[in-house]
Amino acid sequence: MFLQSVHLALRTIARNKLRSVLTLLGVIIGVAAVVALVTIGRGARERIRSELAGMGTHLIFVFAGMVPDPSSPSVVEAQPLTNEQFNGLAKILGARTTVAALAASRLRVSHGGRSISAPVTGVNQSYFALREWTLERGRLLSPLETASNASVCVIGSKVAKSLFGQENAIGARIRVGQIHCRVVGELAARGATFSGGQDTLVLLPLGLFQTRLSGKAYVDQILIGLHGDASIAPTKLRVMEEMRRLRRIGPARNDDFQVDDMTEYMHRASSVIDNVTALLSSIAAISLLVGGIGIMNIMLVSVSERTREIGIRMAIGARENDILVQFLTEASVLSLLGGLIGIGLGLTVAWAATVFMEISFVPDLKAIAFITAISIMIGMIFGLFPALRGARLDPIEALRHE
Amino acid sequence: MTAPCKASTLLAFDRVWRSYGSGHTSVDALADVSFEIVQGAFVAVTGPSGSGKSTAMNILGGLDVPTRGAYRFMGTGVSAFDKAGRAELRNRHIGFVFQGYNLLPRTTALENIELPLVYRGLSKRMRREMSRKVLDQVGLGGRGHHTPAELSGGQQQRVAIARALVSEPTVLLADEPTGNLDTERSLEIMALLTALNRERELTTVMVTHEAGIAAFADRRIGFRDGRIAFDNDTAPGI
Repeated sequence: MFLQSVHLALRTIARNKLRSVLTLLGVIIGVAAVVALVTIGRGARERIRSELAGMGTHLIFVFAGMVPDPSSPSVVEAQPLTNEQFNGLAKILGARTTVAALAASRLRVSHGGRSISAPVTGVNQSYFALREWTLERGRLLSPLETASNASVCVIGSKVAKSLFGQENAIGARIRVGQIHCRVVGELAARGATFSGGQDTLVLLPLGLFQTRLSGKAYVDQILIGLHGDASIAPTKLRVMEEMRRLRRIGPARNDDFQVDDMTEYMHRASSVIDNVTALLSSIAAISLLVGGIGIMNIMLVSVSERTREIGIRMAIGARENDILVQFLTEASVLSLLGGLIGIGLGLTVAWAATVFMEISFVPDLKAIAFITAISIMIGMIFGLFPALRGARLDPIEALRHE
Repeated sequence: MTAPCKASTLLAFDRVWRSYGSGHTSVDALADVSFEIVQGAFVAVTGPSGSGKSTAMNILGGLDVPTRGAYRFMGTGVSAFDKAGRAELRNRHIGFVFQGYNLLPRTTALENIELPLVYRGLSKRMRREMSRKVLDQVGLGGRGHHTPAELSGGQQQRVAIARALVSEPTVLLADEPTGNLDTERSLEIMALLTALNRERELTTVMVTHEAGIAAFADRRIGFRDGRIAFDNDTAPGI
């Protein structure tokens, strides 16, 4: 009986192909939008997750400043981090960690008439030990160079391309802000990343940056890499205590620095993306409502067109329920069809977008199953009123209908 | 008892009223109508339009219920049935034949014939088998896959009769079965209905306004103004 209804529904829909598709546009667009958004959102989240994980999950960041406290309107002016604080941390954390420091500022970098604005970053030697680096040409800064504040630098692929085109940059002297430095390495292209990317970087010794470019013995960020199975939480606690001591923060005062780790970033980034996805999806879902109304409309037309058929069916023994089921099935099959087309369309759009955005295409099977169920439900809900109308027809009246 | 049974009452109207509207504007389509129809009878119901004959047929077919009085089908008061009960009554016991055939368009003859069995929950194969059999019986064996549009009026009415027969009904209700047909087709259809009544003792009630068609029946009930005007009943049992 149910299969019979589905068969009948498919036949009725096939008889009115154009009408059915037009009716379904609302559902198709709504489902496609939701599926595309969810899929793209998921891809973006995966991308951020893998990128952050690629930077190493065992990473702790120390910044000056603090998260604004909602209860106090004034922003606390924080003293920058200093070399002393960096050295202090490095001393107490010991062998199972790598403590790196960096200071950065956006400066004009030029060579032979061509120039580009790039985040010029001074780093110490341990910075290079925090993660894997792939080089296009040349080498990273040597320990001697970082220790002696040599005027040398490593540049990202975009910087190299802007300044040198296809030429080999290694050995060339480029102008960075007020100084000159010799290029010793060119990083491999990595594409734009969540953290800004390495393609536009100019890395040079921290000491050089502080003495010749910024003129201040300040550090923008201290990075602490944990080795092996060292756990993050206790290390973070030690870092916080030590920082309070180094920065002479009395017991009554709040921290004027921040200690974060990678997992926090991941959670934060994921939750931002989830929220955006949810918001956009719910806007898209409004078109599902419109689609439902379209289905209700076409089912009302269908019931009124087939009044006589309903009368005949009732005369030969169809119960109200049979008629109800017939039209509910038709509405649900119609809506499910729209859902499936929408899922196909949404996945196609999402796939194209992920290719374009260079993120991974990760269809969310649970979400797809859910939206399939939703589209059946839309048919049920919006088909109910027309179906009831058909089922409650008086057979005598219906038979008389022309 | 081994003696041949005296024809038993199948359908009975007992002081049936059917009124529409209420209060002063109330109209009585049927006013105090009583009759009985025995098993195996062939009854023609005649009367001008608005005489109440259609209302009587609707009640006989379980499509409508009396406002007052009782309609008993095989001894059971139909008023006691709910809508689903009456649907089942129609499905199991009543075969309808209409003036305009009332076949589903764009649906093959066999599928039309199967329809009553669908609501009985029979399997596809069973339905096909039974439908083919009745299609043969009405002489349209080769036309099973034709849609109504591909069949002549007479053929369509045969399909409609096959649809009525497939559920092996207790009573056949025919509403102007020849109304849309020329004389020759009309006679063919009447021959078929008569044969069914004679050979299978299928109780048949037929509405018609043509005296020549009514003449095929054993009994003629005439309606006028919601009452029975004449009933030349020659059948035993009353």
